[in-house]
Amino acid sequence: MSQTVVLGVIGSDAHVVGITILEQAFSAAGFDVVNLGVQTSQEEFAEEAVDHDAEAVLVSSLYGHAEQDCQGFHEVLAESDVDAVTYIGGNLAVGQDEFDQTRRTFRELGFDRVFDSETDPEDAIEALREDLQITPTESERATISS
Amino acid sequence: MIRDERIPADELRRIDEEIRSDWETGADVDFEEAIEYHESLPDRKRFADVLESADKPLLQPRAGVPRLDDQIELSKYLHEEGQADLIPTTIDSYTRDNEYEKAQQGLEKARETGDDTLNGFPAVNHGVDGCRKLIDAVDAPIEVRHGTPDARLLAAITFAGGFQSFEGGPISYNIPYTKRHGLEETIERWQFVDRLAGAYTERGIRINREPFGPLTGTLVPPSIAIAIMIVEGQLAATQGVRSITLGYGQVGNVVQDVAALNALKKLGNEYLPDEVVVTTVFHEWMGGFPPDEARANGVISLGGMTAAIAQPDKVITKSPQEFQGVPTKEANASGLRTTRQVIDMAIEQKIDIDGIEEEQDLIERETRCLMDTIFTHGDGDVVQGTLKAFDSGALDVPFAPSDSARGAVLPARDDDGRVRIFEWADLDMDDDIKEIHKARLSQRADTEGRKQSFRMVADDVDAISDGKLIGRPQGDV
Repeated sequence: MSQTVVLGVIGSDAHVVGITILEQAFSAAGFDVVNLGVQTSQEEFAEEAVDHDAEAVLVSSLYGHAEQDCQGFHEVLAESDVDAVTYIGGNLAVGQDEFDQTRRTFRELGFDRVFDSETDPEDAIEALREDLQITPTESERATISS
Repeated sequence: MIRDERIPADELRRIDEEIRSDWETGADVDFEEAIEYHESLPDRKRFADVLESADKPLLQPRAGVPRLDDQIELSKYLHEEGQADLIPTTIDSYTRDNEYEKAQQGLEKARETGDDTLNGFPAVNHGVDGCRKLIDAVDAPIEVRHGTPDARLLAAITFAGGFQSFEGGPISYNIPYTKRHGLEETIERWQFVDRLAGAYTERGIRINREPFGPLTGTLVPPSIAIAIMIVEGQLAATQGVRSITLGYGQVGNVVQDVAALNALKKLGNEYLPDEVVVTTVFHEWMGGFPPDEARANGVISLGGMTAAIAQPDKVITKSPQEFQGVPTKEANASGLRTTRQVIDMAIEQKIDIDGIEEEQDLIERETRCLMDTIFTHGDGDVVQGTLKAFDSGALDVPFAPSDSARGAVLPARDDDGRVRIFEWADLDMDDDIKEIHKARLSQRADTEGRKQSFRMVADDVDAISDGKLIGRPQGDV
């Protein structure tokens, strides 16, 4: 059974390139991807996660306002009974914060994993497979090791 | 049903009165009085005339700050120290969202604290008089640059305020800028903007209109950009605009960029009515810049070199601080001077590069395919054709955030760094053209010893900021 991933850019952010690449990467890796696109509200993430019975909710943000946009996000998800793994990635803070500090901030907000903007899509896919305990098929394993 | 038809005079008046009540400064707009003001301006401030009569590419930066005095000072600096030929006034983001109250708060805060609390010049809040103080103070033509899906009030105020050039268009200020504004809605809004520009034009004040060529600024295949430029030019021409500057954003491959600018000029003249004067503008690289001023100057210089060969009518320059966001005025002027140095050194050389004609021919064939599909989708009407072609995916823009475009087409560079189409989705293109792209991408895949995949797209998006043109795999190839 393929697993469903809900993907979107949160808040007023209109940066679409990264999420387009993630959509392609997760689809190619065998996930069912629901791409909510840019400028997605917390409520839209929750609704779509419920509608599609998503196993994972992946949040992208590049314009530096992620912390403000994600306040209360996990409460919104909980209210809708969303039980999904949550990741966030991108340029998550304005300025020169150490990434360890940024990671701590977003872990405290409730995200299971936090990625910086240099992360390869493959790393996120591998992490998700681990978190959802999916074993790659033989053919995919061959691709990965080649 | 909205069609490519001129807005009737009574309808123009009705919309004009309606939108001018959106903010208090709208009441100060008086068309007849505005015509007199424009007539009083000296020739050197007449945007269309200056641009169309230039004998080499004119340079223009981007720049906008909230306070009027600061905007005047910045404009003068860029004109004098940066030797900018044409001056921009970049509008703030609240105004682009029609949030004039928020822009007012930002402007008042800027006046109190002296900080730049807005990311541009809130022209609606400054009103007709504020705009004219700027026009009077700066000794060069000035253009409004923004990103506003509904720019009707901004146009009414800035035209009356003395601006004679206005960037944007219904597709180019929708598809790359917003998720939710419907394309039909933005086309209708921009028909008014163009009609207003047409009304001034009929009174002898030619307002120059400039569709935004770079679109999403990320590896946009030239033919897609050119087709959209032609459509926006046609829509503007229908409303009476007679000076149109079609745009194109640098992709970084010199042959493809020169070929694209040649094709843009040729097809623009061919598709637009004879009474329209068509000019072209080349935008220096709009994607991610290197996080290093020296390397950024390299990117800017390659843009200058390309401009020297293709000779567009105008070049929009970048600053070496592009990576960090809004540049200082010194950095902005330095981007202008770097570009000028390269253009002036290169422009008198005769530089022949193999392959430009062949590439231009391919771009023209692709553009004609897209224009044909728009024409067919609309049964001859360009508005309906554009709406339906975007809807069916026959027309598409890569990385488009808007719900009005599929955003399913994906570009990748070929082995020579030219932008090709890797994922066609439903883009309506002849099969033999698709085969050419496929073969070129396959050649790159062979060189790199990997399969064609979205991975190439991702690598290409980052390549220039990482110091290369093509996103090759890490390590030796």
